[in-house]
Amino acid sequence: MVANQEEMRAVPSPATTQADSSILEARELSLWYGKQRALDRISLEVPEHKVTAIIGPSGCGKSTFIRSLNRMNDLIPAVRISGQVLFHAEDVYDRHVDPVEVRRRIGMVFQKPNPFPKSIYENLAFGLRVNGYHTRISERVELALRRAALWEEVKDDLRKKTGLDLSGGQQQRLCIARALAVEPEVLLMDEPCSALDPIATAKIEDLIHELKRDYTVVIVTHNMQQAARVSDFTAFFYLGRLIEFGPTAQIFENPSRKETEDYITGKFG
Amino acid sequence: MSEAKRAWRRSKGALFALVAAVSLGLGLVVVAVLLITTGLNSWRLVAMRATADAGLSLSLRSLQASTGSQQAYYPYVVLAQVASNSRAEKLGLRQGDALIRVAGQGITRVSAVWEAVEQAPGGRDLRLPIAWVPNSRQLLGELRAEAIPNTPGRFRVVISTLPPGSPAEQAGLQTGDVLLSANDLSIMGTRQAWEAIVIATQRASGPITLQVERDSQILTLPFTAQQQGELTVQRAAWRALWAFVSSLNEPRYPEHAGLASAILGSLYVVFVMAIVAFPLGIGAALYLEEYASRSTLTEILQVLIANLAGVPSVVYGIIGLEILARAAGLGRSILAGGIALALLILPIMILAAREALRTVPPWVREAAYSVGATRWQTVRHHVLPYALPGIFTGMILTLSRAIGEAALLILLGAFLYVTYVPTNLKDSFTVIPLQIFDWATKPQEGFTTIAAAAILVLLGILLILNATAIALRNRFQMRW
Repeated sequence: MVANQEEMRAVPSPATTQADSSILEARELSLWYGKQRALDRISLEVPEHKVTAIIGPSGCGKSTFIRSLNRMNDLIPAVRISGQVLFHAEDVYDRHVDPVEVRRRIGMVFQKPNPFPKSIYENLAFGLRVNGYHTRISERVELALRRAALWEEVKDDLRKKTGLDLSGGQQQRLCIARALAVEPEVLLMDEPCSALDPIATAKIEDLIHELKRDYTVVIVTHNMQQAARVSDFTAFFYLGRLIEFGPTAQIFENPSRKETEDYITGKFG
Repeated sequence: MSEAKRAWRRSKGALFALVAAVSLGLGLVVVAVLLITTGLNSWRLVAMRATADAGLSLSLRSLQASTGSQQAYYPYVVLAQVASNSRAEKLGLRQGDALIRVAGQGITRVSAVWEAVEQAPGGRDLRLPIAWVPNSRQLLGELRAEAIPNTPGRFRVVISTLPPGSPAEQAGLQTGDVLLSANDLSIMGTRQAWEAIVIATQRASGPITLQVERDSQILTLPFTAQQQGELTVQRAAWRALWAFVSSLNEPRYPEHAGLASAILGSLYVVFVMAIVAFPLGIGAALYLEEYASRSTLTEILQVLIANLAGVPSVVYGIIGLEILARAAGLGRSILAGGIALALLILPIMILAAREALRTVPPWVREAAYSVGATRWQTVRHHVLPYALPGIFTGMILTLSRAIGEAALLILLGAFLYVTYVPTNLKDSFTVIPLQIFDWATKPQEGFTTIAAAAILVLLGILLILNATAIALRNRFQMRW
């Protein structure tokens, strides 16, 4: 099943014609945890104002990949990276780039809802304040909560309830609102529904459809049906390599690589 | 074989539970016994303070005398001081009087007075019947020693002036009388004359027989030296405690000695320690947990800190003495003591703060970073506030460790005996554990009692601190 090096080099690089334009691009991105290689020369262009899903079996490096797009992996000791991640044609790993600025412009939602143990308002206001917004904070908080389809449910408890008092689905939408509040261009979502029930999942999926208009979304998911439902493009990762990338319909209906087909049809994974 | 193994596996849990229960039970019994004995010992403080409050300062003296062929010491209790305007003074007691009987008990030791006060029936306000012999001047007036002709080195005691109305005059003594003996105690000196009367009164429980020589004739006169009265004492426990913690140390009279210098010394030293150790400890913990990359250097640093936490405190005492007191010229001051304690506490503080920081889950940091917070903003607004209850707990526990510390400060040269309240960081000081040590090793009666009381005060302070730590932790602890 493991493809040899020559085959891997033959992976077609993502066709720019498939996307309208690219905002975020990984070029020959490799990553090591200590001596263990987790990503192997990934090259992928993320199309703007589209939802890109990353699928693959556990441990294939999809979370690692998405976390290296906004330099979240910097926080993990003993991580080594080679290659480039271009954001608006600028390498985010360049020495002159401030990772804090990268993370502000490329927001992130995590697998487990992780609101701060503070009031709902504070959850959003913190991001605004650290990014230099000091006026119209309440307005921005409301806007972000509306965008995350949470406003109606929490508008009376903004300062009374803490983020941890909400239900799991609400917590995750709060985290999305928190990411949106600082007006990023790209939203990275690392299995945002894996800890949620089907109803909460449906709400988040609807939300992702809405967000596409204003943001570029990259979503990692375990769930192939979800990838098929929400994404425009799909990338299939396997053993730290990008096996196939293309429009979602094509990946699911007519995959060009055998590994992809085996995974889609449930032969492994 | 396997049967035995299985049996062992089955009974292992029960065995460990038994061992745990037995050791816990033994520990509790030992602690309870210690607390009860300390409490019982320190209860006498109430009686001691009650007598002091009535105006008495007691002191033990003794008469060395020969009765027949035997040399003997006769101890008696004398009023070393009587406070002016006190109830004792109003009753007629004066400095130098000898206490003979308290509440029907004959008094030959200082502690017998406190015992009598403690055990006298009645409530808080007590009318205590006492009997005493007035001091020599009041009782006998002026005495004069005259050398006996032809017997060098021997004296006879002559009454040179007799105050009108004194007990001696009432008994029929006259100026010029030579005092020979009181009961069977012969009189050989001016001070000893009075002492002999005191001892005779003490032993006879009533009038004594005084032999005098007047105009070459030996007269035998019945003599009542003893006076009686009722002294009001108040056995008030809380007032005794307050008087104890608020008064200064006293080297001779345990009933007056207080803990104020030691309590304030402890507070000052711990305050200096807190100012030095807490910011440094929290800062170091923040650096190690949040900033330092995992390198050989930080690994070594962590091992060093863990080891420093286990270094005996006397070693820190030597460091404090050599570096702070001598090289840095701080002397045996509060500043030197506080900084030396801070050195002792710092590794423990760092470990406690790191432990608290580690309870903040990594996803909190990720969440903060993901909205574009810098490392410092993440620490300042999230990690530190959420770890604060744990850090507070660590702080208070290290505080209680510091308050109980004695060995380090002994080596540093803290004073055992301080009779003023320190007001300046350069002042010398003592602390509660040292004060306990000092009192516990004094030979006079009563000091062990106040040492026990000081132990209870120290335990009370520690209990309050630890209870605060637990309350803070339960109140503010984050549940993730």
